[in-house]
Amino acid sequence: MSAREHALKYWYPVAMVNELASGQTRETVLLETPLQLEATADGNLNASAHKQSLSVQNAFDHWWVTLSDNPYPLFKVPEAAETDRRFVPCGVVRVLCSPLRAVENFLDIAHFPFVHTDVLGAEPHTEVYKYDVKIDDTHDEVIASNIRFYQPQAAKSAEGGIETQYIYRVPAPMVAVLYKTCPQREDAMDVIALFVQPVDEETCDVWPWMALYDDTSSMADLIQFQQFIFLQDRTILENQLPRKLPIDPGLEIPTRADLTSVSYRRWLKKRGAYYGALEGR
Amino acid sequence: MTSHPVGLSGNLAPRQVMRATINQFDIAVWRSESGIISAWDNRCPHRGMRLSHGFVRGESLACAYHGWHYNCEGFCHYIPAHPELTPPKTVRPVIYSVIERHGLIWINPTAEARAHELPDNLIPLRTLTFECDENTALHAMSSTAQHAGESFEPGDTLSESPRIITVNTPAIANGIIIAFHQCAPHNVIAHVLVQNTLSSAAQIDVSRWLESVRRHAEANVSEYL
Ligand code: FES
Ligand SMILES: [Fe+2]
Repeated sequence: MSAREHALKYWYPVAMVNELASGQTRETVLLETPLQLEATADGNLNASAHKQSLSVQNAFDHWWVTLSDNPYPLFKVPEAAETDRRFVPCGVVRVLCSPLRAVENFLDIAHFPFVHTDVLGAEPHTEVYKYDVKIDDTHDEVIASNIRFYQPQAAKSAEGGIETQYIYRVPAPMVAVLYKTCPQREDAMDVIALFVQPVDEETCDVWPWMALYDDTSSMADLIQFQQFIFLQDRTILENQLPRKLPIDPGLEIPTRADLTSVSYRRWLKKRGAYYGALEGR
Repeated sequence: MTSHPVGLSGNLAPRQVMRATINQFDIAVWRSESGIISAWDNRCPHRGMRLSHGFVRGESLACAYHGWHYNCEGFCHYIPAHPELTPPKTVRPVIYSVIERHGLIWINPTAEARAHELPDNLIPLRTLTFECDENTALHAMSSTAQHAGESFEPGDTLSESPRIITVNTPAIANGIIIAFHQCAPHNVIAHVLVQNTLSSAAQIDVSRWLESVRRHAEANVSEYL
C-alpha cells in the first residue's frame, strides 16, 4: 500500500461546522485532491471530489470527510459529550510543513521555555522530568502520561505560574489530543486537540479545538490565546529541515524528553503511516 | 567547490547570526561574543530546526526550538531539558570551513575556505542584493552608465567563480571591486569594495551608482531571463 493509500483511510477536518452559511461553497485540498464543499439549507455539508460525493460527519465542531469507501472509524473524545465545557474551534492555520511534523510539535514540551517564552514555559524551568509513554492496546493509540511542567501562564484563565500536568493521546496519525491541568477546576482537565488536514506531504491546514472549563474568558480571547501560541509554533515548523518527518532513527538525535516523539514515529512506522514521512517507504 | 563570499564581516557583529546559501547548501553563520566566526549546516541535529534562527549566548549558539547550546567547535554542551546530562560528542552539526579576508566572509562547504587574493588597499563599502542573476546585473552596469551619460569601463575579471570584477566609473571612482555571490537562481549579492583613499563623498556616489544599477537590473529581469 502506498503512503497516500494508507492516509486515504482516515477522516480529516475540512471546515468548522459554524463557519459556512447555508448555500455557501468553498474549495479545499485534501491529500492532493481538490474538494468542493457546500453547506446545505438543512445544516449539513456536501463534499465532493472529482464530482463524486464523499462521506461527511460532524464531530468536535468540525466537518470531517474521508476519501475512502471503507474508512477507519473516527477516533473518540469522550469529553466532547460533557456539556458543561466550553467548546472552542479556533479556526485554521496553513503551515508549510509535513502534517506529521505539526502533530509531533504539539506533543513536545521541551520547547515551551524557548518558543512560548513566559507563557507555556520560562527559563530556568527547562527540565523535562521522566514521564511514561505506552501504546494503548485496545485503541492502538500512543498515550503519554505523568508529564509535569512549570508554566507561567498555562491558559487564558491562569493567574500566575503553576506546575501543569499533561496527558497526550495520538488516536490517529494526524490528530493529537492533550489533557492538561485546568486552572479553574482541580478535579477536571482541559482538553486541547490538534486536528490536521493534510493538503499534501509538505503542507497542512491545522484546526486547533478546545473543550475547556473556563466561564470567564470571552470566546474571542480564548481563540486569540490559542492562535497566538500556534503562530509561534508555525515559525518553528516552517524552518525544520527536512520538511518531511524523518521516521527512521539516524538523521535526528532524540533524548529522554523526546520519548513521546520517538514512540509516535515508531507507531507511525508500524501502521505504515508514511504520508508526510521521509523514510521507510 | 570554490569558496564563496557570503557577506561582509562588518555586517555580522558579535552575537549575530545570519543565513547564507551556496547552491544546495543552507548555512548558519554566527559570531560569538568574543568575535569567533562559525559556519554550520543550517540544521540542528536534534529536530532539524534551522540554526540561523538561533541566538548567541556568550561563546555558544543556542537553537531556537529547544535551546540546545553548541560551542564554537560545534559540540553540544548543554541540553536544557536535561540540565545534568553531558551530551555525547556526536551531537554536532556539520561544520563548514570559513575565513575572513578583505572584509569579506568566505565559506567553502566542501573543502577548506580560501579567500581570493585581492589588492590590500581596499575597504568594504557595502553589500547589495539584486533580484536577478549575475549576468543581468553585469549587463545593467554598462547600460546604467549609458543612461546617465557617464563613462563606464568594465575592468578585469579577477575570478570567474565566484565572479569578481573590477570596474571603473571615471567620473566617480576607479578600481572598484565587485564580488558576486549567486545565492539563488534569481538572487545575487554584490559586495562592493573601494580604494581606501576614496573620499567619503565619492563613496556615497559609488553607493548611489550601484543602487541605480540595481534598479535597472531588476527592471530588466524579464528581458534577460
Ligand atoms: S531542534 Fe534544535 S534544540 Fe531541538
Ligand atoms: Fe508549541
